[in-house]
Amino acid sequence: MPAAAAIKTLIADDQQSMRSLIRTSLNALGINQTREAADGEDALRALLAQPANLVITDFNMPKLDGLGLLRAIRAHGPTSKTAVIMLTGRADRELVQRAVQFGVNNYLVKPFTTQTLKEKIEAVFGPLE
Amino acid sequence: MDPFESIKATFFQECEELLTDMESGLLAMEQGDDDSETINAVFRAVHSVKGGAGAFGLEELIRFAHVFETVLDEMRSGKLPLTDEVAKVLLRASDVLADHVAAARSGGGVDEGRTVGMIADLQGLIDQDRANELGLNDHGDASGADEDFGFVPVVLSLDEPATDAPDVDIAALLSAAAEPAAATPTWKVIFRPRAEMYAKANESALVLRELARLGDVEVSLDASGVPALDQLSAEAAYLTWTIRLSGDKSEAEVREVFEFVEDDCDLTVVREGEAPEMAAADGAESDASASAVEAAAAAPLDLEALLARVAPTAEPAPLEIPPAQPVAAAPVAAPAPAPANLDVAGLIALAEKASQDHAQAAQTPVAKADPKVDQKAEARAGSGAATAATPTIRVDLDRVDRLINAVGELVIQQAMLSQRVFESGLARSSDVALGLEDLELLTREIQDSVMAIRAQPVKSVFQRMPRLVREVADMVGKKVRLVMDGENTEVDKTVIERLSDPITHMLRNAIDHGLETPEEREAGGKGAEGTVRLAALHRGGRIVIEVQDDGRGINRPRVRGIAVTKGLIAEDAVLSDDEIDNLIFLPGFSTADVVSDISGRGVGMDVVKRSIQALGGRISITSEPGKGSKFSMSLPLTLAVLDGMVVSAADQTLVAPLSNIVESLTPRAEDVHLIGGRDAVICIRDTFVPLIDVGVALGFRDTPLPPASGVAVLVESEGGGKAALLVEAIQGQRQVVIKSLEANYQHIHGVAAATILGDGRVALILDVDALVTTSRRKSPRIEKRMAV
Repeated sequence: MPAAAAIKTLIADDQQSMRSLIRTSLNALGINQTREAADGEDALRALLAQPANLVITDFNMPKLDGLGLLRAIRAHGPTSKTAVIMLTGRADRELVQRAVQFGVNNYLVKPFTTQTLKEKIEAVFGPLE
Repeated sequence: MDPFESIKATFFQECEELLTDMESGLLAMEQGDDDSETINAVFRAVHSVKGGAGAFGLEELIRFAHVFETVLDEMRSGKLPLTDEVAKVLLRASDVLADHVAAARSGGGVDEGRTVGMIADLQGLIDQDRANELGLNDHGDASGADEDFGFVPVVLSLDEPATDAPDVDIAALLSAAAEPAAATPTWKVIFRPRAEMYAKANESALVLRELARLGDVEVSLDASGVPALDQLSAEAAYLTWTIRLSGDKSEAEVREVFEFVEDDCDLTVVREGEAPEMAAADGAESDASASAVEAAAAAPLDLEALLARVAPTAEPAPLEIPPAQPVAAAPVAAPAPAPANLDVAGLIALAEKASQDHAQAAQTPVAKADPKVDQKAEARAGSGAATAATPTIRVDLDRVDRLINAVGELVIQQAMLSQRVFESGLARSSDVALGLEDLELLTREIQDSVMAIRAQPVKSVFQRMPRLVREVADMVGKKVRLVMDGENTEVDKTVIERLSDPITHMLRNAIDHGLETPEEREAGGKGAEGTVRLAALHRGGRIVIEVQDDGRGINRPRVRGIAVTKGLIAEDAVLSDDEIDNLIFLPGFSTADVVSDISGRGVGMDVVKRSIQALGGRISITSEPGKGSKFSMSLPLTLAVLDGMVVSAADQTLVAPLSNIVESLTPRAEDVHLIGGRDAVICIRDTFVPLIDVGVALGFRDTPLPPASGVAVLVESEGGGKAALLVEAIQGQRQVVIKSLEANYQHIHGVAAATILGDGRVALILDVDALVTTSRRKSPRIEKRMAV
């Protein structure tokens, strides 16, 4: 049973408001170690500089989208085991399938509640304390 | 503020940017730009608006955005082609979306009828069967039910640090995503030389070259283990190669290549798709890989440079070596510490390729080799790189204003200090005086920098205009294309805020009066669609805004006739074409036979002119019959500082804006004449201009100053009228910080603002235009008629 406080999280979304919302939800779950990135490239840069346990990334981002980020994370040894939860604007089967193909750990449809977020994270890491 | 509310406020700020992006994308699409990147950008903007709306439960906004987004998605996937008609519908939809955002922001309502109509129009773009399929006709269930798709979350353990060799077979993953798998069996070779191998003078490059003889190879280098330069040991080995070898060779044949180095390296040879055993095999040596995360953190990765390098090529070159070339290329360069970079560059290239793959997968396979499109893409890539290089921060406007104010005070304090020191009789060469000079330079530099912070592109005003043009054009039944230029021209925030009204009015005027109806245009041999060009540029330290139409031009005989009828000019007045054109700025002049709703309710160009003059601006018109007209207005770049001439009148220190001053002279008594016994005029080079005694005009004293004992400052108002201001003395020229009088006291006729001088005293800044106008008309102006 992992301590929520131990999960280092990186939030990647091009919208500040979305990042803030996700961060607020994570904080409510006791996940306080969060960092933010405004696009896929930013996120990759942040991950290479400092690893994380969990990346919550939007699919739709400029420069490098969520799938690209996911693929880069998986392709790079040191980050390849980072958990990735993909945010999608709607339940898009094709998109989720592609994300699965690239090794996504879970996905989350916007808008979501803190409870849903919790379930999605627990499905990856096991119950949070 | 409640954190949720504050996030919501952020969201609405983002919406403004998103709506701008959306509109500029749509405008490009209207011009026929059906580049996938453009469509994608528009889609992303609408998508983001909807996403945020979902998070904040803005139902109305979600409902509309959903339909809009769905239509854009159809375009994105190539199912709905871009036509003129489609672009027009999308543009109107963008206006409705903007209304919805505004309504959500203010908590107000939206025009329900318009929304429903717009949704119907959007749905109309999509084939009915397809619309049903998309669920578009059920009034957009945008909630996005969390369908399962039989998705099984991939479980991870937190306890196990994610550092060792990956479980996921990347190469397989990549090949699965990119190309159909090769029919021939593929070997995956992981080759990690140890230091001993190099010590025995073996060379990885030679080994790799040997391997390449067996078949097609794809070599990738993992240099993440390379430490920072100062920790790099020349004797140690840090690099790992992963080679994919296709060709009908047995494992023994592959291993044979490594015969001489096998004992001095870690070698894994597996068939593609099988998990490599390396992690288990080298448990003892895993310290190197265990610290891989730290290594990744410590490696000096210059990502900016890498991204820049990756961008233009777009090919993941560093990772793949075409079999035809000698394999040595990569390995030879490898032992240097720099190649740590290669890996990241490769990653990004790979990742970009993944995105592209996805984008292509989402699109119908249309091979597009239009060189124009490519150029556009390149141009965009270029500008994108430029944007990336200049990161921005969002700062509260209040903070900037506080800074501006503080700097204004600093400038004043500095001037006061200089003056005190100067008055105290210290030598110019003294340390204090020299230090003060440096301080002055620095202060000026800070002031300039702060002003630059406040400078904003006129885009924020321009971006509202396409919608205005569409609406006005619809209302008067004309076809108009708006072309905008110089949107990135920067001007001070205070000026920007006040540009909107005059531009709005000039555009309305251009469409309503300037352009002909489509029928008239066609009859006149022009295209049915008129063009209005809105441009901004810097010229001579001012910003110039131009509104140009290709319409009928000024009807000079008619303008002249009206001016005569209204008694604005004498019947026999001899006027140049230019002068006739500029008659339209005279108060009370309106050429519209029927005062339309568009150009204002009986408010003519004179009001526009006045509101521009109030900003220290000028407006003029040039016109060519049958070809169109051009309005140019020029404004100062800032309203915060002013170059002024400090003068004294009736024991008061006053400032006259330098931009108004033509010359100054000492009047001779014989040049001054009284008209009607009280109004003085002065003859300057055979021209009579009113002589205004500033002390009297502002009510500082009742008795006029004898002209010969003062100085006359010849000024020209923004309207072109001239007058001579009679003052007692000129003190000097100075840059002053403008302090609003209205904000601190109230408006005073003849006074534009105030400032604080070096000696700490308040000095009034003269409103030259008001003084000149009053002197010329001798009648109180009708103040502040509403500008449109």
